[in-house]
Amino acid sequence: MNEIAQTPRDFNYIKPRKRRLSEYEAVSCYTQPDPNVFDRQGWYLLSAEGRAAWRPESTRLQHPHWFDFRDPSGLWQRYYVKLQAEQERSIERNVEDAGIAGILSEFHPVWLNEIIGIHYRVWSFFEYGLFRAFSRAQREALSDTLGNALCFEAVDRIRHAQSTVLYLMELEARVEGFKDHASKDHWLGDPVYQPLRRLVETLMATDDWAEIAFAVNLVIDPIATEVGVSRLIRHHGPAHGDPTTPMIILTTERDRRRNQAWTEELVRMTTAPDLPAAENNRMVIRSWIERWTPLASAAAIAFAPVYNRVPSRSRSIDEDLAVACGTQAKILDDLGIGRNGNG
Amino acid sequence: MRNLTEAHNRVKDFDWEPSYVEKPNWYPTKYKIPAKTKDPFRHLVRDYLSMEEEKDNRQYGSMEDALARGQASSRAEPRWMEIMKAVLPILNFGEYAAMKSTGQLIETIANAELRQGYLAQMLDEVRHTHQEAYLARYFAKHAADPEGFAQGFKLRGTNLFNRAGRAAFEAFFMGDPIEGALNLQVVAETAYTNPIFVALTEIAASNGDQVTPSVFLSIQSDESRHMANGYSTLAAVVSNPDNLPALQLDFDRAFWRQHAFIDPFVAAVWDYFQTNRTTCYHEKWREWIDVDWIGSYIERLAPFGLKVPSGYAAARERVPWLGHTAAMVAFGAWPLQFWRFDPMTAKDMDWFERKYPGWHGYYGKFWDEYQRRCDPRNGELSLSLFANLPPLCRVCQMPCVFPRIDISTCRIKEFAGKRHAFCSASCELFFDQEPQRYLGYTSFYELFDGYDLADFIVENGLLRADGKTLIAQPWLNEERMWTIDDIRAARYEIRDPLRNQ
Repeated sequence: MNEIAQTPRDFNYIKPRKRRLSEYEAVSCYTQPDPNVFDRQGWYLLSAEGRAAWRPESTRLQHPHWFDFRDPSGLWQRYYVKLQAEQERSIERNVEDAGIAGILSEFHPVWLNEIIGIHYRVWSFFEYGLFRAFSRAQREALSDTLGNALCFEAVDRIRHAQSTVLYLMELEARVEGFKDHASKDHWLGDPVYQPLRRLVETLMATDDWAEIAFAVNLVIDPIATEVGVSRLIRHHGPAHGDPTTPMIILTTERDRRRNQAWTEELVRMTTAPDLPAAENNRMVIRSWIERWTPLASAAAIAFAPVYNRVPSRSRSIDEDLAVACGTQAKILDDLGIGRNGNG
Repeated sequence: MRNLTEAHNRVKDFDWEPSYVEKPNWYPTKYKIPAKTKDPFRHLVRDYLSMEEEKDNRQYGSMEDALARGQASSRAEPRWMEIMKAVLPILNFGEYAAMKSTGQLIETIANAELRQGYLAQMLDEVRHTHQEAYLARYFAKHAADPEGFAQGFKLRGTNLFNRAGRAAFEAFFMGDPIEGALNLQVVAETAYTNPIFVALTEIAASNGDQVTPSVFLSIQSDESRHMANGYSTLAAVVSNPDNLPALQLDFDRAFWRQHAFIDPFVAAVWDYFQTNRTTCYHEKWREWIDVDWIGSYIERLAPFGLKVPSGYAAARERVPWLGHTAAMVAFGAWPLQFWRFDPMTAKDMDWFERKYPGWHGYYGKFWDEYQRRCDPRNGELSLSLFANLPPLCRVCQMPCVFPRIDISTCRIKEFAGKRHAFCSASCELFFDQEPQRYLGYTSFYELFDGYDLADFIVENGLLRADGKTLIAQPWLNEERMWTIDDIRAARYEIRDPLRNQ
C-alpha cells in the first residue's frame, strides 16, 4: 500500500504557528465546530429563544478566523493541571513547613488579624467572582484555543480563592486566638471593598468574553490586584514576619503573567495591521480601557485605609498606585493601544 | 491536619447576591433550584488537581512508553482500528459540548454545592477533549493506516454519522441549562458512558488495541463524578414539585435525543467492527441501560414524580435492530465516510444469527450483495443496493430507516412550505412542540442534492494523500483500492429523496 506509506501522519489541516505542529495545537485546534470552517450545515439545535451554539456578536471585536489564536504559554490540559498541581503542592508544603518552624505564629498581630485575616481573605471573594465571570466567558468564546485559555483562567481563580481559605484554616490551627471570620461581612458591607465588589459584579454581568479577558488581565489585575495584593501584601509581608503569604501570592502572579500574555496576544491578533477590522477593534479596546480603568483605580484607591493599617509601611498607596498605573500604561503603549501608543 | 468537612463548608460560602449590577439572565431556565442541596463533589481544587495529574501521568506515560515501543496500535485488528476513526471525532465533540454545558450551569444554577461539582466537571471535559484528540493523533502516527485519523476533525463536519452525533450533543448546551444537564449528565453520562468507556474497551483489547482502553478507562474514572452531578441536579429539580411537568417533558426529549444517535451508532461500532468476537451490544444494553440505568436508577425516582421516559418502551423494542440497520447504511454508503470497512464473513454472520435470532432473514441478503460490490473492477457501488439515499431526520439527523428498513417509522410532513423527514414519532413530536429550534441549519441535501458522488468526495476532502485513492474503502484489500476514477465511472448522483416524492 504505497499511498498509505507516503501519507503524512499528522493533523495537516491545522496551520502550525511554528515550523511543526505542537502538541498543544494538535489537541486544541478545531475541537470547536464552526459553520465557517468545516461544519457547513450550521447548528442543528437552537435554544427556545432562537440563539445558536456560538454567536459572532458575543464580542465586539471582529476577526475572520478566531481559530488562529494561540495561547503563547502553549498549555493544554495535561500541562495546565501539572503546573497547578505543582503550585498547590508548593503552597501546601511551604505553609506546613512554616507552621512547624513556628513562623506562622510570629506574624505581627495587626498584620495577621487585619491584613491577612481580613484584607487577603476578602480578596478570595473577588477571585471567586472572577471564576464565575471566566466560566461563562469560556462558554461563549469563538474558538477552542480562546475557550481553553478562558477556562484555565476560571480554574486559576477558583484555585486562588480556595487556597486562601485553606491557608487561613492552617493559620487558625497554628496561631492561638486567630479566627477566620467576618470576611464576608467586609466583602458585602465594608466601604473599603465596595468599589472592588462593584467591579467584579460589573464583570460578572458583562456579556462580551473578550472584554472580560481584556478588563481583568490588562486593566484590573495590573492596577487593582497589583496594588491590593502584590504591593500591599506580597511586598510588605517579610517586614511583618510573614515570608509565607508572599510565596502563595507568587503562584498567583505566575498565573497573572500567563493570562496577561495570552490577552496581549489576543490584542495583537485583533489589531494586526493587515486585518480590515483592526481600526474598529482598536476603538473597541479603547472604549474598554476607558470603561474599566476608572473602576479599577477606584477599587485600588479604596484600599487606602488598609494601607494605613500596615505597621511597617514602606510606601504610600499613592506611590504604589502611580507605579502600577505607569506599568499598566506601558503594557498598553507597547500594544499600540495606550495614550502614547503608535496605533 | 486539615479539617476537610470544615474546608468544604468554607469554600462553598463564596456566593453572594450581587447588589450593584443586575445580572443578565443569559441562559433562561424554567426550573426553580433550591439554594442548598446535597454535595456531589467532596474534593477541593487542590485535591482534584493532584488526583488528575496522577491519572494523566499514568495514561500519557503508558502511551508514550510501553505502548508506543510495543507498537500496540499497528498490531491491532484493522477492522477495529478503522472504526476508531469515526468514533474519536464524534466523542470529542461530546466532551467539548459538555465543557460548554458546565459553563452554563455554573453561571445559572445558584447553588454552591452543585457549582462545586460543575467546576471540576468543566476542567474534566477539557481533559477528555484533549485526551481524545491526543489519541486520534497518536493513531495517526502509529496505526497501520493513518488516513482518516489524521483528518477526522476536519471531515466530521459533513459526515453522515458525525453530523448526527453533533446534533445529539448540541443538546448538552443548547437550551435550558437543566435540559442540558439532563441530556449530558443524567442520560449520556449515567446511561451510556459505562457501555462506551468501560465495556467497549473489552472489545478494543480483544482486538489488539491496548491504547484505547488506557484512555477510555481514565476518562471513565471522571465520569462517576459527573453521574453524581447528574443525580444531585436531578434531586434538586425534583425537590420542588412545580418543576415536575417541565422536567418530564425535558427528560423524555433528552432520553430520545441521546438514544436516537447513541444506540444505533454504538451498536454498529460494537457489533460490526470486532474481529475477535466477544459480547454483542444488545447484551450490554440490557445490562447497562435496562437493568442498571432504568431499573436501579430511573424507576426508583418514581416516588419523587419522575417517570421512565415516554419513549423508553419504543426504544427497548427498537434496540435489537438499530445497529444492524445503521451498519447497513454506513457500509452501503461507504464512499461518503472516512474510514475503511471490512465486510461481514460467513463466520460473522453465524455470530449475528446466534446473537440476534432472525438477523439473517433481514440482513443476510444485503451482505451477500455487498461482498460482490467491494471490488472496483466489478464497477458497481454498494449504494446501488438502495433505491435512494435515506431521508435525514430534521431533528436527530439520523437516516430515517429505523428500526429496520422494512418497518421503518420514517414519516414526512410539510412545514412552512418545505418537506421534512422524521425518523420516528418521538422526533416528529419534538419538532411539533418547538419547530423553530430545528430550522436553523442548511440540510445535507440542500447542500449536496444533485452532486455527482465523485465531486462530493473531492470537495469534502475524502481522498488520500495521492489525490486519487479514496480514504474510505468497502473492504480492507490493499491491492485494489477504489480511486476517484472508479467512482466517476460508476456514475452516482446524490439525490434528495424528498425531492420527487
